[in-house]
Amino acid sequence: MPERIAPLIEVRGVTFGYGREVVLDHVDLEIVPRDFLAIIGPNGGGKTTLLKVILGLLRPWSGEVVFHLPSGSDPRGRLGYVPQFSTFDKDFPQRVGDMVLMGRLGNAGLLRPYSRADKTAAEAALERLNLTQLARAHVAEVSGGQLQRALIARALVSAPDVLFLDEPTASIDAESRETLRELLADLNRTIPIVVVTHDVTSFAPMVSRIACINRRLFYHGDPDLSREVMEEVYGCPVELVTHGVPHRVLHDHHHHDHHHD
Amino acid sequence: MPTFFEALSYDFLRNALIAGVLASVLCGVIGTFVVVKRLAFISDGISHAAFGGMGVCFYLGIDPLLGAIPVALVCALALGAVDRETIRSYDALIGVLWAVGMAVGVVFVYKTPGYAPNLMTYLFGNILLVSHHDLEVILALAVSVLTILFLFFKGIVAVSFDEVFAKVRGMRVRFLMSLLLTMIALSVVILIQVVGIILVVALLTIPSVISLMLWRDLKAVLAGSVLIGVAITLGGLVLSFYYDLPSGPAIILLGAVLLVGTYGFKKLPRRALR
Repeated sequence: MPERIAPLIEVRGVTFGYGREVVLDHVDLEIVPRDFLAIIGPNGGGKTTLLKVILGLLRPWSGEVVFHLPSGSDPRGRLGYVPQFSTFDKDFPQRVGDMVLMGRLGNAGLLRPYSRADKTAAEAALERLNLTQLARAHVAEVSGGQLQRALIARALVSAPDVLFLDEPTASIDAESRETLRELLADLNRTIPIVVVTHDVTSFAPMVSRIACINRRLFYHGDPDLSREVMEEVYGCPVELVTHGVPHRVLHDHHHHDHHHD
Repeated sequence: MPTFFEALSYDFLRNALIAGVLASVLCGVIGTFVVVKRLAFISDGISHAAFGGMGVCFYLGIDPLLGAIPVALVCALALGAVDRETIRSYDALIGVLWAVGMAVGVVFVYKTPGYAPNLMTYLFGNILLVSHHDLEVILALAVSVLTILFLFFKGIVAVSFDEVFAKVRGMRVRFLMSLLLTMIALSVVILIQVVGIILVVALLTIPSVISLMLWRDLKAVLAGSVLIGVAITLGGLVLSFYYDLPSGPAIILLGAVLLVGTYGFKKLPRRALR
């Protein structure tokens, strides 16, 4: 068990659902500086929902998310988010460069035009992700891997305190996956990274901790880096993680088991 | 028979032309957001619901705009506030709003004592009957709506493109969406008075759909929609003048021909090259 580091983000007893169906049941989670946290679990287990609660896109039924960011306790505009492609309409007339520039928008300064600093930051982000050539291309014209990089550039252009990625390897080819891995390892030198993924083996060497979510948080802690165990966790997270791996379960949830149908 | 240009010495034709151009400019800009954000059905819903408000005003013998504007604004804001995940049949809700608005309007118009306005006027309007006062109202509307959109352009574009990301960035997504819906509602209602519901819907959608097929940069699409809207309005008026056609439908049908033509133009060359 690692020494305790003051967390940047604390998820405290979050319960959330859609309609009457509980999707997250008293979930506790911590994101610490320099974390590379992989949130794994079966389909429909609530991984993406948990991400949306942390990002403030969904309001939990109960519990709270507390922030201790370098910029303070207000997370607005301080969290970088790389969604899955489907969150926007690719038919929208939008150039890659303009989309990245949009990452500079926030609550303040909506009425003024983009500043010199905004444009410089966007150019730097495009260059870092090797997209300068594609700045004037349209979002519908670029490949899956290129769009993925553009979305990362958009998330990075505002220098976020934490970077969240939702299924980053879902729609890109093997080569882009390798580039993505290197990029995330590089970024992780300065900021914590949280990845929701089916594909935990892709990130295995970098992952510092995993969280296994299937309605409840089943495991939260250091990954056993042996490939076999990672694959087992991925393949059948609930049984193997709770019974097969030396682990630390943060809280005992058994008394909450029957509070809904 | 005088030529179209000679006929422009008549006030009614000149007013029609100015009103048509102003409506096209406004609809070209608003319509681009309506089309890219897929709000066409909402705009239709708002315009038909507003008809209910107009009917009540006829019955009470007051200016129809006094009823139409509040109804349209309430509908726009309510539709903006409704959580789409809670109300699963969002489209059906708009359909209900549409039907109820029309029914209320028709009932009150029917019950209005004495002279009752012709329903067809409100469906198709008559751009040739635009008064000088109407022109002032449209001009004021166009200037205000375009100024507000210009000021909030970045935010409205961001929210239209990716609401989720805008929210993560801490932008006031609800406010910006409500602002856009309010601008749509105001434009729709005031333009209905002048050119009729169906022409408003046509000018909101046809130019932007054509423009989106031709250009892939938002600012180019906006400029293109305005130009195409102005072109089909002027062209439709000229056609209606020379061939004695009702002006609104002439504009709509010219737009439809241009839309189909553009679609064919975009589809055919690729096949021919293969």
